Amino acid sequence: MTIQNRDSFLDNLAANLGRNRRTEGVKRPKWSVQPQYEVFTGLSQDELVEKLEEHCKVIHTEFKRTDRDGLHKVLKETIDGFEGKSVVSASDERLQQYGLNDFYKSLGEKGTEIHLWDESKGEENKVFAERADVGITFSDITLAESGTVTLFNNKYNGRSISLLPKTYIAIIPKSTIVPRMTQATKLIHERNLEGQDVSSCVSFVTGPSNSADIEMNLIVGVHGPIKATYIVVDDEIN
Amino acid sequence: MSMKIGHAPYKERVQEGVENDFMRQAVASAQGRFRDGRQKQADELGNWEDWRQLGSEIRTHTLENIDYYLQMLSDNVSKRGGKVFFAQTAEEANEYVQNVIKKKNAKKVVKSKSMVTEEIGLNEALQEAGADVVESDLGEWILQLDEDPPSHIVTPALHKNKEQIRETFAQKRGYDKSDSPEELALFAREQLRQDFLSADVGITGCNFAVAESGAITFVTNEGNARMVTSLPDTQISVMGMERLVPTWEELDVLTSLLTRAAVGQKLTSYVTSITGTRLEGETDGPEEYHLVIVDNGRSKILGTEFQEALHCIRCAACINVCPVYRQVGGHAYGSIYPGPIGAVLSPLLGGYEEHKELPYASSLCGACNEVCPVKIPLHEQLIRHRQIIVEEKGMAPKAEKLAMKGFAAWASSPAAYKMSAAAARTALKPWSKDENITNGPGPLKGWTESRDFPAPAKQSFRSWFKERQKGGVAK
Amino acid sequence: MKVSLFITCLCDIMSSNVGKDTVEILERVGCEVDFPELQTCCGQPAYNSGYLQESKKAMKQMMKAFKDSEYVVGPSGSCVGMLREYPEVFKGDPEWEEEAKKLANKSYEITQFLVDVLGIVDVGSTFKGKVTYHPSCHMTRILGIKEQPIELLKNVQGVDFVELPIKEDCCGFGGTFAVKNSVISGEMVEEKSRHVTETEAEYLVGGDMGCLLNIGGKMQREGKNVKVAHITEILNHQS
Repeated sequence: MTIQNRDSFLDNLAANLGRNRRTEGVKRPKWSVQPQYEVFTGLSQDELVEKLEEHCKVIHTEFKRTDRDGLHKVLKETIDGFEGKSVVSASDERLQQYGLNDFYKSLGEKGTEIHLWDESKGEENKVFAERADVGITFSDITLAESGTVTLFNNKYNGRSISLLPKTYIAIIPKSTIVPRMTQATKLIHERNLEGQDVSSCVSFVTGPSNSADIEMNLIVGVHGPIKATYIVVDDEIN
Repeated sequence: MSMKIGHAPYKERVQEGVENDFMRQAVASAQGRFRDGRQKQADELGNWEDWRQLGSEIRTHTLENIDYYLQMLSDNVSKRGGKVFFAQTAEEANEYVQNVIKKKNAKKVVKSKSMVTEEIGLNEALQEAGADVVESDLGEWILQLDEDPPSHIVTPALHKNKEQIRETFAQKRGYDKSDSPEELALFAREQLRQDFLSADVGITGCNFAVAESGAITFVTNEGNARMVTSLPDTQISVMGMERLVPTWEELDVLTSLLTRAAVGQKLTSYVTSITGTRLEGETDGPEEYHLVIVDNGRSKILGTEFQEALHCIRCAACINVCPVYRQVGGHAYGSIYPGPIGAVLSPLLGGYEEHKELPYASSLCGACNEVCPVKIPLHEQLIRHRQIIVEEKGMAPKAEKLAMKGFAAWASSPAAYKMSAAAARTALKPWSKDENITNGPGPLKGWTESRDFPAPAKQSFRSWFKERQKGGVAK
Repeated sequence: MKVSLFITCLCDIMSSNVGKDTVEILERVGCEVDFPELQTCCGQPAYNSGYLQESKKAMKQMMKAFKDSEYVVGPSGSCVGMLREYPEVFKGDPEWEEEAKKLANKSYEITQFLVDVLGIVDVGSTFKGKVTYHPSCHMTRILGIKEQPIELLKNVQGVDFVELPIKEDCCGFGGTFAVKNSVISGEMVEEKSRHVTETEAEYLVGGDMGCLLNIGGKMQREGKNVKVAHITEILNHQS
C-alpha cells in the first residue's frame, strides 16, 4: 500500500466543507490579476543580463561575463580565486558543447583533482563532492529578477554538486536567462501537462547559503557553499 | 514538544516577557529589519496589492478544493515511488514515522526546520523510538542544544544573543572560540556536516506541495533542507494538509510572496522541489521517500468562518509588525504559533481552554491585516474569537459581563447616558487630584499603574452645546 | 452644507474642548452644525471585547440618532471606523442592514471630511510650535486616512512639523485592551512616549482622543514636558 488512510481523510474534509468529495472536474479559476507577468516584460536578453548582474550584488555573488572563447580562461581564474585544488562538475552534454572535457583534462594534468559526476561511480560522487573545493554546473534556466540559477538535477547533475563543496560556480548561457521564476515554473507546468516527468529535484539556487539566525546578523555560508560566482556566457542563440 | 509551550499562566508569561530586556531589544531590532525588508520588496514591485490579491485567490481556491488537490498530490507522489500516509492526528503521524524509523533500524535522524513537526511533537516520538534527532537549521539547532522552544516561526532563536549561544555551544559541544556570529556558524557547519553525512533518515517539513506533479518544496537560506533531502537514503516529509498549491504556476506566486513577506528577499538562497524517490542512475537523493499529510485539527476549521486562517503560508509578516509581540516576545503566547496568526490559530488547533487569553493579546491595531501576503482577516478573526469566548463558551469573567450589560443599558438610553455624562466628574472626584487620576478604581487600576488618567471635563460637550444654542456661552 | 456632529462618548465626557473646536472649524468653513442629542456611544468597547449583542444595542441607538442627518462628522478615526463597520455587523438583518449602510456611507472623520468631501487643505489657522503626529491605527488602517491630517497640519501657519519614529506602531490604547492587558499596554505606551521624546517636539498631535489620553497620561506620569493636542485644537487655533 503506497497510499494509506486517504479516503477516510478526504471524505472528512469534504464533509466539513459541506459537500461531496471532489475527485474530478476542478479547474483553476481565471485569476483576477496576474502581476507576475509584468516583471521585466519586453526587456532584451542583454537588458536581462544587466538586471542579473545588478542583483548579484544583493545576493553576495560575483558576476562575470564572457563568451565561448573566453570561458575557459574565466573559469580557470575563478577556480584559482577559490583556491580550488579539487573540482566536481556536472557531466551533461554541455561539457562537450563548451569544450569543457578538454579544459578539465588539462586542469587535471596540472594537478587539480577533477571529478565529473558519473552514475557508475555511485556513492563516490557524494564523497568527492563533500570534500571538493569547487562545484560547477550549468544553469538550466536563469532568473534575472532574483539572480537564481535553476537546476534540473539528474544523473548527470547530482544535487550535491551545487551543495556540498565550499564554493560554487554556475555557468549561465545567456539564452537561459528569463525575467523571473514565473517563466521557469510555467515551463515545468507545461512539460508536466505534456506528460513529461519533472526532475526528481528542481533546485532554485540563489547565491551562496546564508543565515540570519544569530542576532539577525547575516552570515554568508552556512551549510551550503560559502562563496558563489556566476559566469554568463554569450552563446549563439540570441 | 507540542503546540503548547510551558506551563506558566498567561500573566506570568507576559511578565517574564516584558522583563527580558535583551529579548525585547532583539525583537525590536529584528522587527525593524523584517519590516523594512518586506516594505522595500513591496515598493519595488509597485503592484504589491495585486500580488496579495492573487495570493488570496489562489489560497481560497485551493482550500475550497483541498480534497481534490490532496488526492492529486498523493497520486503523483505515489507514481514517483513515494509512500503517502494521511494522518488524522498527531499520534497517527508520529506512530507512522516511528515505524519507518524502526523498520530502517535508524540510529540518527537529521531534520530541517518544520513547524508542523514541532506542533505534533515529533522529536519526542523519534527519541522514544530510539533515534538520535538532530535539528539542522542553525536556529533550531541552538534551541535543541539548549532545550528551549522557538519564539518566532521564521527565526526561531530570535530571543537568544550571541553570548548565550556561545555558552550553549561551549557547554554542550566543547566550543572554545569567540561569540562572533561567523565563528559560531562555522562551528555549526562543521558539527552538522558530520550529522548530515552519517544520518540514516532525513525529515523535513514542507512549504508548498505541488499537486499536479507531487513536488514537495522547501524554502531555505542555509541549505540544510537540501542536505536533508540529498544525503540520507530514507527521507520523510511531514506537511500540514493545507500547505498545497494546484500547479507549478501557483508555486511561483506563493513562493514569491513568502520570501518577500518573510525576509524581504526576492527568493531565498534555496528553493528546492523534490519529487518522490531518486531516479535510475541518480546517486544522491532518497531511495525511499515518505510523505505524511497531517490534519491534527485543521479539518475542523474548514467550512467555518475561520477557514481563511488555513490560508497562512507561515511568513510571520504579521508577527513582525505586531506591537504586542514586540513587547512580550514569542514565549509569552504559550504556543509555538505566536503573534496575530498564533492568536488566531492556537485556539482553533489547541482549544480555547488552553489558549483563551490569546485573542485578547492584541490591541486590534490592524497592522497584521495590512501586511498579510494572502490577506487573512486576522483582525476580524481575533474579534470573532472574542465573541465566541464570550457568547458561546461563556468563558468571560463575571465582572466583565456585568460591566458590558451595564454598557448596553447605558448606551441604548440617551437619558441614562446624559446623566452619567454630567455625573462622571463628580463620580471620579475621590480619585482626582489636579485634574488627574493617578490611582484609579476598578478597571482604571491597571491603567493608572503605569500612567495617569485625566479627570473628566468640567462640562460635558452636550451641555455646552445646549447652552451655546441658547446663546448662553462663547468659547 | 448640513453636518451632524458625532461627538464620541470619550470627547463628550472627557474632552469636550475637542467637540467645541470641531464645531467651530466646521462652522468656519461654512457648514451648519447640529448635534443630535439621541447619540451615545458607537458600541466599540463592547464590540471589540466580543459582546456582540450588547454592542448592537448601542449601534441601534446611533442609527436612530443620525437617521435624518445628511453628513455625520466626528473627531475620531476609531469611532467613525466603528460606524463604517455597521453594515458588516448587521449583514442579513432585515430591519437594520439598510440603516447601517446609510449611516456608514454618510459618516466621516473630521480631517477626512475637510479634505476629501469639502476639498479644504488649509483651514486658515495659526499655531506656533514644534509638532509631531501619531497616526492612530483605526484612522489609518480601517478608514485608510493617511495623508489628510498631515496635509492639514502642514498648512497651519507656524507649525514646525517633525516626523514621529516608528509612527505606525500602536500606542497601546486599544480600548478595553488597556484595561485587560494593562501590562502590555503600559509597555507599548512607554515605547511610544520614548519616540515622542526623540522628536523633541513640544506637542504631540493625534486624531483620536483615546490614544492621546493614553500617551498623554504616560508622559504626564513620566514628568515629560510634552503637551498632547487633538488635531482639531491645532486646526482651530488662531495667533
